[in-house]
Order: sequence, then C-alpha cells, then structure tokens
Amino acid sequence: MALKELSSLEKFLGLKKPNKYSTQGDNKVPVLQTNSGPAVGLLTVCSHLVKEAKRPELLGTSAEHRALVQQWLEYRTTKVDGCSREEAKTVLKDLNLYLQDKVYLAGHCFTLADALMYYGLHPLVVELAVQEKEQHVNVTRWFDHMQHYPGLRHHLPPVVVLRNRVYTSGHH
Amino acid sequence: MKLYISEGNPHCLKVLAAVEVTKVQCDVQCVNHEERVVPFPRPALPALLLPSGGHLFSSNAICQYFFETSGQKPSTLISQWLEWESTELQPALLWALHMAVLQGKATEASKSLQGALSYLDQCLSKGTTPYLTGEAISVVDVVLWGALHPFLSDPSLALGECKSVQAWFERLAGEKACQAAAQRVLQGKGLEALKSFMQRQPAGQRRDAQSYGS
Repeated sequence: MALKELSSLEKFLGLKKPNKYSTQGDNKVPVLQTNSGPAVGLLTVCSHLVKEAKRPELLGTSAEHRALVQQWLEYRTTKVDGCSREEAKTVLKDLNLYLQDKVYLAGHCFTLADALMYYGLHPLVVELAVQEKEQHVNVTRWFDHMQHYPGLRHHLPPVVVLRNRVYTSGHH
Repeated sequence: MKLYISEGNPHCLKVLAAVEVTKVQCDVQCVNHEERVVPFPRPALPALLLPSGGHLFSSNAICQYFFETSGQKPSTLISQWLEWESTELQPALLWALHMAVLQGKATEASKSLQGALSYLDQCLSKGTTPYLTGEAISVVDVVLWGALHPFLSDPSLALGECKSVQAWFERLAGEKACQAAAQRVLQGKGLEALKSFMQRQPAGQRRDAQSYGS
C-alpha cells in the first residue's frame, strides 16, 4: 500500500520521474536512495519528496506549524495504519471531534498531513455505511474535500458522500 | 507556553529532558494521568499548549518543537530516527513495559527489546560521533533516551551485549537535564513508578489479524 501511495504523492507533487523504492524488514518499510544516502520510513521518504518538489510549505511554515504537521503524520502511521476494527472506531470518533471546527488537520492550509491522512483513512472510510458516515460528519466533510483536492486522489476510488442527511441526528 | 505532565508517565521523560536541554521558556504543570487538559484525543499526556492556542499531544512533536525553537533545523536523519522510534521502538516498548511492570516477566520484556537495541547498537558502533546525529545532543538523543531510560537504568534487566548503546546511554545519563527529568517522573522508584500509568493502558498486544491495510 505504501508504494502506491508514494507514487500518487509523486504525481500530486508534479515530480516528473517516478522513483524506485525498496522495502526493509518485516513491516516493509519503504526506502529511497537519495544523493545524500538512503531515506528510510514512509514519513521520511514523503518529506524528502516534498523537499525535492520544492514545496517546503507542505511541511509547515513555522516551527509551531511544522510540529503540528509532524504530530498528525505520526498519528497516521502509529494510530491509523494497521488498526483493528475496534481501534478504527476510536480513530474516527477522535478525528470527528478534532475536525469539528477545522478545514485542514494542521493550521489553516493544506499540508502533507492532510494528504497522508487521506490515503491512510481511505480503507476505513470506504467501509462505512451511510449512517456511520453521518455519525462522523466532520471526518466525511474533510475526506470529501481531500478526494476533490486537485491531483490528490490518483490510485484511490472515489467514496460516495451524501450531502443531504438521510437519517436525522441524535436518535441512534 | 504550558506543558502538562503526569508523574510515572514514561512519555514525560523525553519532554522534560527536552525543556532542560533547550532551555525553552515553558511553564510545567503536573496533573493526574486521566486529566483532560487538551480537547483531543482523550486523556493525552504530555500535552503542550502552544502560543497560538493550538496544542501538541505527541511527545516527539513536542520535543521537536522545543529543539526547533532553540535553533536546531529539521533534517532527513532526524526525521528518520523519530519515525523509527514511533513506529518500531514504541510498539516493542509498550509490550515490554506491560510485561515488566504489570506481569513481572523481565525476561520476556528484555526479549521483545532485543531487535530494536541491536539495531541501535549497530548504528552507534558504525557512527563516529558521540551522539546519534552528531557532536552535540539532538532531539533524537533526548527522545531515544527518554524511551529507553526505564529499561536501560534497571539493573535487573539483562539487555545483552550492546556496548555502544551502553556507552551512549551513560553519556546521556550524566546530563543534568536527563537526571532531573528521570527524578521528576520516576521519583527514584524505577519501573515500579510506571505501574499506575501502565494499568490504564490497553494491553499493548500485537496487532490482531482483523486489521486494515494488511
């Protein structure tokens, strides 16, 4: 999954030449050989691609913003990746609460955290029933925004998001 | 800026040491494990309230922020180590803490850490600098020191022949910042101090078969 995601990110960033990746260890950690040595790990490789594409703002525009971006990147790899069905419920509930008053995950603009969280959440959101999507209306709104974000979706099938509520809220 | 910590919470070791090493101006407040100081995610400590009103709940992001405000630039090497710590070392540590602190199975705990420790030992013995990313302490040293301190400072755990790790760990253990952080979190009680925190954690089992994306 990580390699498809890296290829989509390359296209999103407008990198012309696709990179060749290898993997390391039982967890198939992606590795990219760069001019300054190997970059190991999904987040490290993605951050390298962002710098290569000269889009440093996607990693944050201040120390504070960069820390927020890092935090959500880490959340993606430690809490979302490989989560059980039970853990997935907690992730969706927590994100729904967090996104209540937000358009993007970190700060007031699109960052790498949004891109990787979208790729990572796709397998979870794709399996949600209509009613579950409505229970997680903030996640669904953010997710729909991301899948329509120019050039981001690539390898992933679109997920149908209803804009009109089918179920009335608060009675489940 | 306000940093919330709780005593006996192993994740607070690194953030407290980072405050001391970077000398960043920050008000530190000690609260209960369950105290909800940030709106998301539910109980998450340590937590840092940022000048803008946002908050950080990841101990590694907090450390990175302290080091960056004190002038240390982010780099691929730093990113790589921090990613390794959160995705490879932390799951092994959580299991090891569960075994050592709650079940009293020191041998199982040491076993689950062997892989990560040998990797760290290899990297340190190949390197030519006293610290992981260079001549001076970086965020990587502080984060890995905080993660490993409860185990490496416990004489009852036989952690094998990791000479380079031992030498690196002793170098950090000699730092006032690390000593102060260890004293505040563990109160001189070692692994025993983490008991009430660990009792509130999910069992730290290996991922079950019914997971996404595998």
